[in-house]
Amino acid sequence: MKITVNNLRKTYDGKQVLSVDSLEVKKGCITGIIGPNGSGKSTLMRLISGIEKADSGTVAFEDKKASEETWKGITLVFQKPYLINTTVYENIAYPLKLRGAGKDEISRRVETMLELLELGSIRHRNARTLSGGEGQKAALARAMVFEPQLLLLDEPTANIDPKSIYIMEKAIRHINEKVGATVLLVTHNVRQLKRLCSYGIFMNNGSVEIQGAVGSLFEDLDNTPMGSFISEEFII
Amino acid sequence: MEYIMEGFKEAFKLLLSFDSEVYGIFLLTLYVTLMSTVISTIIAVPLGIMIGLKKFKMKKALIRLLYTLMSMPPVIAGLIVYLILSRRGPLGELQLLFTPAAMIIAQVTLVTPIITGIVYNSTRDRGESIRQLAHTMGANKKQAFALLIFELRADLLGAIVSGFGRAISEVGAVMLVGGNIKGHTRVMTTSIAMLQSMGDYSQAIAIGIVLLLISFGVNSILYHSQQVN
Repeated sequence: MKITVNNLRKTYDGKQVLSVDSLEVKKGCITGIIGPNGSGKSTLMRLISGIEKADSGTVAFEDKKASEETWKGITLVFQKPYLINTTVYENIAYPLKLRGAGKDEISRRVETMLELLELGSIRHRNARTLSGGEGQKAALARAMVFEPQLLLLDEPTANIDPKSIYIMEKAIRHINEKVGATVLLVTHNVRQLKRLCSYGIFMNNGSVEIQGAVGSLFEDLDNTPMGSFISEEFII
Repeated sequence: MEYIMEGFKEAFKLLLSFDSEVYGIFLLTLYVTLMSTVISTIIAVPLGIMIGLKKFKMKKALIRLLYTLMSMPPVIAGLIVYLILSRRGPLGELQLLFTPAAMIIAQVTLVTPIITGIVYNSTRDRGESIRQLAHTMGANKKQAFALLIFELRADLLGAIVSGFGRAISEVGAVMLVGGNIKGHTRVMTTSIAMLQSMGDYSQAIAIGIVLLLISFGVNSILYHSQQVN
């Protein structure tokens, strides 16, 4: 699913937090968004996902305005996902039930996700009792189980252990390669951006400063805000 | 001390004799309380959710008013309903004063703000996250509402039980609008108040025991559901 953003503006309490003149996310690719805290990455994700409305500007999906059907093919995983107060299995089955899937189909798809994200052993645990990494994996499984056309991920691997990051990255590649989903990923991790994404967007002060192939973000680093962002990232 | 023990003995005898007057009081109490709790729930749950989720002008003022009404003294609620239903009041023609219907109206006036306030607090804390999850999962409005109810189920049950507790233990408002008429509007709390003033402790204790048992039962259900959740 191609995303086209034009003149998108968002203000909170009188302060403009997002001002994107033009942005295009390519269909079927994994695109990473990187940038310092407060650069508008999460706000952009929330506006694209439709959970918040922009003050002005447009977000088009395949050059069309979003309809109710469009939203059914788009999902967002938050950094701190909300998990339903039931088992891991039921959490993952939830979007399939919303779509009226049959019992056999639900079972088959949920089992695939449990295996892909290595959640089989905790399928009967209440999702509220999971650790941070387990919760993120369950949320990713829930978002992927209905094979969305567009998967929005807002720092899904922040503060979790390397093994869980590896499993989640493998799952993200799976949905992109096997299902053809477009993935838009917010990350603070430069290495993850290079590992996973073919396209990159650098945001700063609410604006898109660089967009293009991931390699283009790392050109002329001495003279771009991306350069100073990366140096800070490596100092940390 | 002896007269208290004697009161307890008489109370158990009265309960086991299935005295029609005493059991009539129990049934009327349950009827009035359950009806007022059901009506309050129907009004308060959607109202609390709406206030918790929506942004609108004067919301802060409305919440302050809601919190004030949550702690409204029962006699004030009783007085307001009495004035409205009295012969010269705006709804005097309905001739509801000193009927169980008037008692239900008074209890609804008391209980609705309590349930609304508790539901509002729960929705304010978690409603937006639940709404966002429902949207990102592709839920329509009905499905999103169903998820909200499912997620807030323990809080909703707590709110309803609190409302029921308030209604069943209330004496001032039902006394004012019901009049404590024997066989017609006499409920457990008004009955205990009257029996105490008359020095008839055995019947007062018998009714008090049943009132406590109902309270115990209702709170056990609440505790059990919270443990399950």
